[in-house]
Amino acid sequence: MTPQILTPAVARRSPSAQTRVALVRPKKPLRWITTAAVAAVVVGLHAVAIEGTDFKPALLVDGWKGMAAFIGDAFPPDLSWEKTIRPGLEATLVTLWIGLLGTTLSVPFALLLAALAAENTSPHRLVYQAARSVLSFFRAVPDIVFALIFVTAVGLGPFAGVLALICHNTGVMGKLWAESMEEIDSGPQEALRTAGANRIQQVANATLPMVVPQFVGLLLYRFDVNVRSSLVLGLVGAGGIGLLINQSIKSFQFDSMLTHILIVLVLIIVVDQFSAWIRRRLAA
Amino acid sequence: MPLSVHGLRKSFNGRTVLEGVDFSVAAGELVAFLGANGSGKSTTLRCVMGITAPDSGSISIDGTALETLQGRDLQQVRQRMAMIFQKIHLVPRRTALDNVCAGALSRIPTVRSLSPLLFPADVQQEALDCLDRVGLADRALDRVGRLSGGQQQRVAVARALCQRADVVLADEPVSALDPHAAEQVMALLRELAHAEGLAVAAVLHQPDLALRYADRSIGLLQGSMTFDLPSTEITADHLDTLYAPDRDVSDRKSAA
Repeated sequence: MTPQILTPAVARRSPSAQTRVALVRPKKPLRWITTAAVAAVVVGLHAVAIEGTDFKPALLVDGWKGMAAFIGDAFPPDLSWEKTIRPGLEATLVTLWIGLLGTTLSVPFALLLAALAAENTSPHRLVYQAARSVLSFFRAVPDIVFALIFVTAVGLGPFAGVLALICHNTGVMGKLWAESMEEIDSGPQEALRTAGANRIQQVANATLPMVVPQFVGLLLYRFDVNVRSSLVLGLVGAGGIGLLINQSIKSFQFDSMLTHILIVLVLIIVVDQFSAWIRRRLAA
Repeated sequence: MPLSVHGLRKSFNGRTVLEGVDFSVAAGELVAFLGANGSGKSTTLRCVMGITAPDSGSISIDGTALETLQGRDLQQVRQRMAMIFQKIHLVPRRTALDNVCAGALSRIPTVRSLSPLLFPADVQQEALDCLDRVGLADRALDRVGRLSGGQQQRVAVARALCQRADVVLADEPVSALDPHAAEQVMALLRELAHAEGLAVAAVLHQPDLALRYADRSIGLLQGSMTFDLPSTEITADHLDTLYAPDRDVSDRKSAA
């Protein structure tokens, strides 16, 4: 660079120069009116929502005694091994297995649908739209509804829960995976395309190996969520500790209920720590 | 002539990027493309490679005009060209060997290309030989992400070799590398041209590298060729027309 080239730029930046650059913001008189209107709408929606949900804190204050009696009945937790703890632990294992199978058995479906529903790997615009619609459907139907449907086919029990989780998790995980594939650097895929690789080869040798860490992270996150979902599925008859909690409430054995909830708490913490540990190992 | 290009034109949204580019690259020759940002160097390579569709012009590989071909025939001729990218575009989590094998995917049946574990043994052997030609056979089983930038770019060159290309197009192959690695990669490209008879065309941002390594340099200015000369005949005047600083200053003045 020679000084002659630099001179004009330097002169413009120096404070002693006669002409200074002025920042001109376009005037937007409507901006504060828009802000006020948006705020009014948000406040209005909340007012309607409070009305619509019978949201009355006074009821909670008046009725605290009922809550205290309920919780009081639960203390001390029932720690008898044969009657409560052993069935609780066994049912907790079932809950864990429901979550595990519901997650892993949905992997092939989620993988296929994700590859079809990501813009950079989908073979055709129509396939892309169709795959998106299928994923949206499985995501939109809650797992508990799937469980009720499967109970009518295979009867009460954990199998219905596994089937329900497979369906719902395929929708959620397929969507999450498709999005992470769309966010990945498309360079390696383009490089293989110029080398003459076909679409499947491009996906198998560039796109998929690039997204493996994100995929495993999302898989563990879904495992965590699915174990907790399978608790709720137990409440509608799909087996596991959820079923026991439901039964102990119905038979007014609140001390057993508390024990089961404590076992669940331990399970949730263990699963959470486990998936956090794997994800840390993966990131390193 | 492995690669010859005539009357290549391209415009994006009414803005002309290439107005009639003609050049050829002979076997055993390294040709450099020089020019300022936006002069059309990269667009030229991308048009030749088929990543960008040119508006008009003729591209011939070994005398076969690409525009006369379609479908599988076109693809087979295209595969004789390989591209090296500025951003390297390897898969960091896979080994150097697996990345090089990917250059041969067009010769591997789809079912055997679903995982590196299924790649045929002869392809793996050929990939190892390609890594040996770029001097990295000892790093074959290392993950690419663990290699330096210069080593990664050499793995990308090996991938191009494993594609069995006889034309190599390199789009700013050394722009992301430190000076020492840049020298190594340029020396490798020159060696592939001179010792193995490949036709190599490289877009470069560093005129001094072009003058030292390329047999011939082509200057592009706003989509037109200003010179096409043996690198030994290129003078400072030639380069000044490409990167003339006064153009830049007058732009700024008119903007102010």
